[in-house]
Amino acid sequence: MGEPLLTTRKLSNHFGMVCTARDLDLTFEQGVLTSVIGPNGAGKSTLINLLTGHLPVQAGKIHFQGRDITRLPIHQRVRMGICRSFQIVNVFPELTVAQNVMIPVLARTGRLWRPIRRLSRETAVMRETEAILEKVALLPERDTPATALSHGDLRLLEVGVALAAAPTLLFLDEPTAGMNPVERVRLLDSIRQLAREGRTTFVVVEHDMDVVFSLSERIIVLHRGEILCDGTPGQVRADGKVREVYLGDDVSDLFRCREE
Amino acid sequence: MKAQTRNAGAAAAVLLALCAVPFLAGKFAVYLTMRIMLLGIFAVGYNLLLGQTGLLSFGHGAFYAAGAYGLGLFGVHVSTHPLLGVAAGVVAAVLLALLVGYLCVRHTEIYFAMLTLACGMMVFSLVWNAREITGGDDGLIGIVRSPVSFFGLFKIPIGTDRQFYFLVLVFFALSVWAAHRIRQSPFGLALAGIRENARRSEFAGVPVRRYRLAVFVLSGAFAGLAGSLEALLESNARPFMAHWTHSAEPVLVSLLGGLSSLLGPLVGSVIFIAMREIIQRFTENWMLGFGIVLLVIIMGFRGGVMGTLSGLFRKASAREGG
Repeated sequence: MGEPLLTTRKLSNHFGMVCTARDLDLTFEQGVLTSVIGPNGAGKSTLINLLTGHLPVQAGKIHFQGRDITRLPIHQRVRMGICRSFQIVNVFPELTVAQNVMIPVLARTGRLWRPIRRLSRETAVMRETEAILEKVALLPERDTPATALSHGDLRLLEVGVALAAAPTLLFLDEPTAGMNPVERVRLLDSIRQLAREGRTTFVVVEHDMDVVFSLSERIIVLHRGEILCDGTPGQVRADGKVREVYLGDDVSDLFRCREE
Repeated sequence: MKAQTRNAGAAAAVLLALCAVPFLAGKFAVYLTMRIMLLGIFAVGYNLLLGQTGLLSFGHGAFYAAGAYGLGLFGVHVSTHPLLGVAAGVVAAVLLALLVGYLCVRHTEIYFAMLTLACGMMVFSLVWNAREITGGDDGLIGIVRSPVSFFGLFKIPIGTDRQFYFLVLVFFALSVWAAHRIRQSPFGLALAGIRENARRSEFAGVPVRRYRLAVFVLSGAFAGLAGSLEALLESNARPFMAHWTHSAEPVLVSLLGGLSSLLGPLVGSVIFIAMREIIQRFTENWMLGFGIVLLVIIMGFRGGVMGTLSGLFRKASAREGG
């Protein structure tokens, strides 16, 4: 299998008295589509925030491709190949769809630092940008300002901007939140397609159980900052503890709603 | 493509008109045009920081002064060659902007604005108090306009205002061209990205702080260029160039003309200088009249004069098209 892509050792974080990550030892292998689930406040977002540099690490270590990245600033992690999308849409609102994608492409290829060259001359960058827009089905909207997009299209753009950094490891934080079923299927299909191509390893945080079980090869269940269960979808489904704290809760919640 | 040709044509027409000014207009009009161009250089550079990157600085007077004093001191101690002097002024401004920027760009918004204000005031009091070097409150006086010589081969005199005008015009045209190219470049897109969403820029792989520092220094260089040219124009460098009231000028000018275009601060500079001249004829308190005009423009013209005009133009052409 070779060297793991990313490993954490005793990774911890707390906000005051609330522990959102407790001594997490995790390993992410190349090419394994992984989902992170858990009830609200389980530490899913905290985990992403720690691994991508959004939050400073309080204790523990993170290694990416054998290199210690625990203290590395965000933009350097991105250059190394770790990127993310956001739960709440977080793009460049006044820029066009193409410009949104162009910034990470230019940054990655080292062409951003060019004060006198005309942007319109960067044909290689343009072509690559169009290829990425094609992948997330936004090519027809290339000259639309991001603010004018529908919510579903914005979510797609969110993923497109993250993909444009050509990450080897990409964290998607609830990529389908607020999407209608059609858009959701479209996005999941493109994620599956991209995962099959193999350049990018996806780690997805999701709430929707259908999405999680249909998409993932591996599921990590977090609960109060600890790993409750880590395995294949079958193993997770069969796990008693998971049923108790999470799926069970979900089911009983569902029943309660029905009764009312 | 069509819009590009039209813009190039308009720019050429304005440049021609500016070339004609010293031959057609009176002495005072020539002087005022130079003042407009100096403020234009200052504001066009400043707007790369404010309009393009979204950083509000209240300390750019310090870099303007660095340009003026840089040229003045270079003239006293080394050489009175005007181009070398301008270069010395720009270098002085860049070095000061590096220092101030390094301290300030780790913060944003109001903290950034206040830090630049504080740094600007420190520079002002340094200039004011270092009497042996800067001449204190008298300023540096007696700055001369030696001819521009090229390795002693030939000399272009700039002694009279009409001659000096063309040196200002050359630097003005170069500045506007440079600002235009920067706005159209990948670097300019990076700055716009930082303005729109700094956090996302980091996740796009952009070292945000380094880009902020770069544009801060760049705008400082424009300020230094304007300052060194003013020192030549007025034959002196004054501590009030570094004062925060002077730092506010490019802010006002950019707001007046519009933050979101290259033309905005230029139009703002014309309005600012013209209004100051007109209102000063009637009253000493020209700031009162100016305040009223500014109020009207900010409340009535969203996006400044240019923002409103281009909005109207777009509406008109949409009606034509539809």
